[in-house]
Amino acid sequence: MLLRKNILGLVATTTLVAAMATGALAQERVPAINIDTTTEAYDPIRYEAAYIIAEKWRELGLEVNVRPTEFSTLLGKFYDQQDFDAAIVGWSGRIDRLDPHFYLGTLDSRATSLGANNPGGYSNPKVDELFDAQAREFDTEARRDLVHELQETYVPDAPVIVLFYRDEVVAYNNTAFGEMNAMAGEGLYSEWTPMQAQPLTDRKTLRIGGPQEPDNLNPLASTSVWGWKWMRLYYDRLVRLTPDVEPMNWMAASVEAVDETTIDVTLREGLTFHDGEPVTAEDVAFTFGYYQAQDYAYFDAYLAPVDTVEATGDLTVRFNLKTPSASFANIALSQIPILPKHIWEAIENPGDLTPEQIPTVGSGPFKYASYNRGEIMSLEKNADHFQADDIAVDGVEFVIYADMEGVFTALQTQAIDMTAWRMEAGQIPLAESADHLSVVSVPDFGYYHMTYNTRRAPFDDVAVRRALTKAMDRERMVNVLLDGRGEVGTSVIAPVNAFWHNPFVETFDFDMEAAKAELEEAGYSWDSEGRLVK
Amino acid sequence: MILPSYFKSALAPLRFMLMDRLAVIGLAVLSLIVAMALAAPLLSTHDPRAVNEVEDASVLVRSGDAETGIVWRLENSLGDVAIQAADDDGTGNGIAVGREGTAYRYTVGEGWSGIETPVDADLNGVAMAADGKALAVGSGGTILHLDGEEWQAIEAPAPADLNAVAWLDAGSALIVGSGEEIWRLDLSPSPQVTEIDSPVGRGFPLYAVARDADGTMLAVGDRGLAIRYDPADGSAAMERLGTSRQLNGLHISPSGNALAVGERGTVVSRAGPEARWSEETVAEMRALRSGWVGDDGAAFAVGRNGTIIERAADGEAWQPASSESERHFRAVMAAGENVFALGSDRFVNRLAAPSADHWFGTDHLGRDLYSQNVHGSRIALLVGFLGALLVVLIGTNVGLIAGYFRGRTETVLMRTVDVMYGIPFEPFALILVLLFEPSLTIVILAVSLLTWRTVARLIRSQVLSLRERPFVKAARVAGASDLRIMYLHIFPNVMPLVFLELAIIVGVSIIAEATLSFLGLGPPQSISWGGILHNARLSGAWRTAWWWNLPPGFFIMTTVLSVFFISRSLELIANPRLRARQ
Amino acid sequence: MSRRSYLIRRALQAFVSLFIIATLLFFLFRAGLPDPTTALLAEGLSPEQREMVRRSFGLDQPLWQQYLLFLQNAVQGDFGFSFHYRAPVADIIWERLGNTMVLMLTAITIAYVIGVPLGAWLSWRRGTRADTTGIFVGLMFRSAPMFWTGMIGILVFGVMLGFLPTSGMRTLPYTATGFFDKIFTLDFLWHLALPAMIVALYYLGSPLLIMRNTMLEVYGEDFIEMARAKGLPERRILYNHAARNALLPVVTQLAVTIGLAAGGQVVVEVVFSWPGLGREILNAVRTSDFPLAQASFLVMAAFVITLNLLVDILYSTLDPRVSFK
Repeated sequence: MLLRKNILGLVATTTLVAAMATGALAQERVPAINIDTTTEAYDPIRYEAAYIIAEKWRELGLEVNVRPTEFSTLLGKFYDQQDFDAAIVGWSGRIDRLDPHFYLGTLDSRATSLGANNPGGYSNPKVDELFDAQAREFDTEARRDLVHELQETYVPDAPVIVLFYRDEVVAYNNTAFGEMNAMAGEGLYSEWTPMQAQPLTDRKTLRIGGPQEPDNLNPLASTSVWGWKWMRLYYDRLVRLTPDVEPMNWMAASVEAVDETTIDVTLREGLTFHDGEPVTAEDVAFTFGYYQAQDYAYFDAYLAPVDTVEATGDLTVRFNLKTPSASFANIALSQIPILPKHIWEAIENPGDLTPEQIPTVGSGPFKYASYNRGEIMSLEKNADHFQADDIAVDGVEFVIYADMEGVFTALQTQAIDMTAWRMEAGQIPLAESADHLSVVSVPDFGYYHMTYNTRRAPFDDVAVRRALTKAMDRERMVNVLLDGRGEVGTSVIAPVNAFWHNPFVETFDFDMEAAKAELEEAGYSWDSEGRLVK
Repeated sequence: MILPSYFKSALAPLRFMLMDRLAVIGLAVLSLIVAMALAAPLLSTHDPRAVNEVEDASVLVRSGDAETGIVWRLENSLGDVAIQAADDDGTGNGIAVGREGTAYRYTVGEGWSGIETPVDADLNGVAMAADGKALAVGSGGTILHLDGEEWQAIEAPAPADLNAVAWLDAGSALIVGSGEEIWRLDLSPSPQVTEIDSPVGRGFPLYAVARDADGTMLAVGDRGLAIRYDPADGSAAMERLGTSRQLNGLHISPSGNALAVGERGTVVSRAGPEARWSEETVAEMRALRSGWVGDDGAAFAVGRNGTIIERAADGEAWQPASSESERHFRAVMAAGENVFALGSDRFVNRLAAPSADHWFGTDHLGRDLYSQNVHGSRIALLVGFLGALLVVLIGTNVGLIAGYFRGRTETVLMRTVDVMYGIPFEPFALILVLLFEPSLTIVILAVSLLTWRTVARLIRSQVLSLRERPFVKAARVAGASDLRIMYLHIFPNVMPLVFLELAIIVGVSIIAEATLSFLGLGPPQSISWGGILHNARLSGAWRTAWWWNLPPGFFIMTTVLSVFFISRSLELIANPRLRARQ
Repeated sequence: MSRRSYLIRRALQAFVSLFIIATLLFFLFRAGLPDPTTALLAEGLSPEQREMVRRSFGLDQPLWQQYLLFLQNAVQGDFGFSFHYRAPVADIIWERLGNTMVLMLTAITIAYVIGVPLGAWLSWRRGTRADTTGIFVGLMFRSAPMFWTGMIGILVFGVMLGFLPTSGMRTLPYTATGFFDKIFTLDFLWHLALPAMIVALYYLGSPLLIMRNTMLEVYGEDFIEMARAKGLPERRILYNHAARNALLPVVTQLAVTIGLAAGGQVVVEVVFSWPGLGREILNAVRTSDFPLAQASFLVMAAFVITLNLLVDILYSTLDPRVSFK
C-alpha cells in the first residue's frame, strides 16, 4: 500500500517534470549578443562603455561578449559587412552637420545597403516620409516641426542609441590672446578664432598646437577634417557659418533663391586671389564644375543637388539644382572653397600632385606661408582681404606635436597659445591650476552611439531594443568615464543644437526593473538558470 | 634506459646553479613571483577590475579670503551615506539630511552632530525655519517634522518620492516630488496634506522649491520646468526661466535675488524680485546640484565631480573654486560666516595615492593598483613560460633537423630563419592582432613566431659539430635510425644549450608580452604589467601618479632579472671553457 | 668554393629573402588588414564615393596586377604614394629612417664605447665585488623594459627636475631647412639626450657581458700564457693581446644590433614621441596605408639582411676557420 502510494507519487512527479521540460523547450533562449567596440588603445572610453553595458545586460539574463576591435576593422565590419549585433561607433560633430539632414539621414531606410550610413537596417516608413518632407521644406519653422516630429517618431523604436555627447575641454593662454571664443563642436580651433583673437602682447602670431597633422593640403585630395580646418583659413567660401551657425554672406554679396531649384549669387566687388588676380564669377563656376568633374568624393554630399553652375555676369553666378534642397544655400555654399581658375584649369589629375606641386593660392583672410611636414604650418594675414581691418593677428601657426603630451607641455611653457583639440582627462586639473591658462568646456553635437542590428535576433524585436536601452547605465558612463564632462544621449540631434533638438523625446532612463517589465510584457521570461527565454 | 641520460643532463644544471650565488637569488625571487601568480586571488585586496566607489557624508568648508586664495577644505566625514540636502535657520545654525534617514545638526560653536530620525527612507529635502523647526521629505512619501528634539512622521497621501520642501509660513510648507507632485502641508491644527494640481501634468519630476520674496512659491524641475504657486488664491502656473535644462537646485534670498542651477552647468539667476531671469555663462559644463545666493548677490553653486563655482556679486563672472575632490556635492549651505558644500553620493575614488586601503593607490577609474599588479604576474609568467617553451620547441627541432640532415632541408629551413630575421617584431605583432582578434593565444604566438630564429641558429651550429663526433658515427654504423640518432644521441648533448636558451627566452618573452600590452595589443580586459603602464600613459595622469607607473615596471624588471641570473649559471654549464675560468 | 662565389651566393640569398618578405607582406596586408578606405566611412562617405577613392588608390585593379606593379616599381626604388599622406613614400621613409638612425646609432655608440672597456675590466677583476656589481647593473637595465625606464626618465629628468624635454625631437615651433640643419643644433642634442641614454642603458649589458665572457675565454689561449711567460705587464696583456682577440664576437653583436636598429625600438619612439620609422610603421599598419607599410617593412628587412651579410663577410675575413660552403 505504502509502496504503491510512493510509485504513484513518483509517476506524478515524473509527469510534472516532463511537462515542465517540454514547457521550457517550447521557449528558446535569446541568442548570445556580441558588442563590438574600439580597442582600449584607440578609445578607452568606448571600450569601457561596452563593458559597463555588458555587465547590466548580463543581469537581464543575456549572454554578452564584448569584442574590442581595431578601429578600421570595426568600421569595416559595421558599415561594409554589417556583420555585428550591436556596435559602438560615433559621429564627429562637424560644423556642417549642425544642419539636421546628415544625422537624420542615418535613420533613413534607404541608406541600409552595405557601406551606407544606416548599417543597423532600421526601417520606419513614417521616418522616411518625415525625412523627405524636411529635406524639401524651405520654411525653417515648418522644417523644425518636421525634424522634431521625426525625433519623436524614431526614438521610441530605439534603433540607434546615442550614448552620450562628450564635452571637449580645451585651453588657451589668457596672457597672450583675448577674445577667444569657443564654438560647439569646433572648440577653440574654429575659423573665427584667428579672425577674432586679440593679441595682448607684442607677439601677434596666434600659435595653435595639436597632435593632428592634415593628411595633405590638397583641396582636391584631403579627406581629413584637419586638412580642411586649416585650408578654410586661406581658401574663402561664398558663405560662412557664424559662431551661432547662421549662414552669413561672405564672398557673396547676396544669395537669392529665384525659385526652388535656382539660386543666384552675386559676388562682392574687388575680391582678389593672393596672387593679385581678381576673383570673378568664372572662378566660382569653374570651382563647382571642377569639383563635379574630379574623382574627389569629399564634397559629393554637398554637390549632389547641383546640376550646373554658370557665370551670368562678371560677378553673378547661377546655380541650377536638380532637386530642391533646404540645406544647399546654408551648408554647401559654406563648405566649397573657391579655387582660382587660372591655376587649376591646367591641372588634369589634381589628386596625383606631390606636396610641392600643390597650388596654395586662395582668396581667404590668411595667406599660405609654409608647411614643414610633422612640424609647423604657417599662414600670414592677407592685408587685401575685405575683413582685414577687423583681424588683429599678423598670422597663424599650427604647430604639430606627436601627442597631447607634447601639446600640453607647450601650452604650459607658453610655446603655443591654444590647443586644437581636447585635452586628456589627466591634464585638465593641471591646466585649471595654471594661472595663465583658461580652460573652456564646449559641448559637442557629435556623439558616440550604439547601433543595434535590427535585422538580427534579438534586436529585430523593438521590445528587446527598448528594454536593453533602459538597462544601459549611461549616467554612470558619463560620471565614471567622462568624469562628469558630458551628457547622456537622447536624440541624434544634440541638445546643444537647440533649434533642431527635440527636448521632449523619450529618455530611456536607467531602470533595470522597467527593463525587465518591458521584456515580460513582450512575452519573455527567464529559465531556471536565469537566462532570458521566449 | 632513455630517462637517465635526459635526467642526468637535466640534473647537472641544477647542481651548478646552486653553487652560483646570483642564480640562487634568481631562483628564490622567481619562486616568490610564481607563488604570487598562483595565489593572486588570495593576495589581492580588491577585485582588480572593479571601480572603487565611495559614498560618504562629506563636508567641505570654505576658508581663506580673496588675497590668500579661497580653498574649500575637506572636514571629517560625518558618516557613510550621502548628505542630500541642507538648510539653515538664518542665524548660523543648520540641518542636513541624507540617505537612509540620516540627519545632522550644525550648531554655531559646536559644529556638526548626528540626530536620530524614525525612518530608514532616503531624505531628499529639508527646510529649516527661524525658530529651529524643520521639515524633511524623502522617498516613499516620507515627511518628517522636527519640533524640539523629536522628528514626527506625517502621513502622506501617496508613497511618492519627494524631493524638496520649503516653508510657506510658520505653519505651512510646500513639498514637491518626482511625479510632478505639488503638495501643500499645513501643520495646524493637525498635519494635513493638500495636493495641488500642476499646470503641466505630464509627470515631470520637480527637484527644488523655494519661497519668493513676494510670498509666492517657486518650484523647478525637469526640462527647465518652473511652476509658481500663489498661496493667496491657491493657483499654480507655469513660468519661463529661459532654459530647457533640468534644474536641480533653487535658492531665493530674502531680498529676492534668485538662483536656479541644473544639469550641464546651467545657471539662471534673477537680480532682485522685479528683474528678469537670465541664463549665465559658466565655464563649467558638469551637473550643478545646489546653489545659494545672498542679498548682496554673492553666490555659490556646487555639483558633480567636485564642482564648486562662486561669484562675488551680481553681474560678476562665475569662478571655479579649487576643491581637489571628486565628491559629488548635493547641497550648499551658507550658515552665518561659514559656507559648506555637502555630499556625496558614490564617487569614484580615482587617482588616490597609496593608503591603507589601496596599498599601491588607484588608477584613473578608481581601480585598485596593488591587486592589478598582483594579478599582472599571471599573464607575464604564463606568456613567459608558454612562449619560451614554444620557441624552444620550434627552434630546437628546426636546428636539429637543419643541422643533422643538411643539404636542401637545411637550406630551406635556414633561409626561412633569414626571412624571419628580416621582420620587425612590434609591427608584425600588430598585423597578427589585426588579422585575428587580440587574445592570449595571439600574444603567445606573436611572441614566439619571431623569436625561434635565434634558437634555431644556435642549435644548428652546435649540431653541425656534434654530428661529426665519433659517437654519432658509431650509432649510424650500428644502424640507428635518423630519429633515434637525433633525439637520443645528439639531443642530450645540446640539452645544456637548450636550457640556457629556454631561460633567456623566458626573459625575452616576458618583456615582449609587456611591450605588446604597453602598445595596447594585449588581450582585452586582461591585467598585465605592460597593460597597467599602457593605461597610465593613455590617461595622461602618469606624470603625477608615480604610484601608477613605478610598481609594474619594477615587477617586470625583477622577474626578468631573476630569470637572467639563472640563465647565467646555465651558460657556465653550456660553455665549459667559461666555467674553467670563472 | 672560392670566396668570391661564396659572397655572390650569399648576396643572391639575401635578395631572395627580401623578395619573399616583400611578397609575403604584400599579400598578408591585403588579406589581413581592413580596406584602407574604411576610415573614410567615419566622414560619412557613400559607397560610390568610396569606390572613387579606391580607384584613385589603384585598389580597383586585380590583385595580381597590383602585385606586379608593386614589384616592378619596388625594383626601381619607387614605393608609390602614401594613401594617407598623398606624398611619395620614399620621402617619408628616408626622413623617418634618418630620425630613427640618429637616435639608435647615438645610443649604440654610447653603449659600446662604455660597455666594451668596462667588460674587459670586469673580466680582469672577475669574482670581485666590482665584477658582481657590473654584471648586476648590466643585466638590470637589460631586464627593465625600455618604455618603463623611459617613463621613469621623463618623470625624473623632465617633470621633477625639469631640465630635459619630455617629448619630440626639438622645441617647436622650429623651421629647419635640411637634414643636417635639423641634427646639429644644441636644441636637438638636448632632446636626444634622454631617449639616447635610455636606449644606451638597455644596450649596455650586451657588449659588457660579451666582452667579459670572451675575455675570460681568451685568457685560456696559449698566446696569453706566452705573453705572460715573457713577463709583459698584466695591463698590457689585457688591452693589447686579450682584448684585441676578444673583439670579434663584440663586433658581430654590434653589426646585428645595428641591423635591427632600423626597426627602431618602437616603444622608445612611442614614449618619447620620436618621429621615427617604428612609430610610422605602426600607424601605417593601423590605417592600412599599404604602400607606406610595405616599404617600411622592406627597408627594415633590407637593413637587417644587409648587416647579417656584412657579418658573414666579416667572419670570412677575420676568422679563417670559416669555410666557404
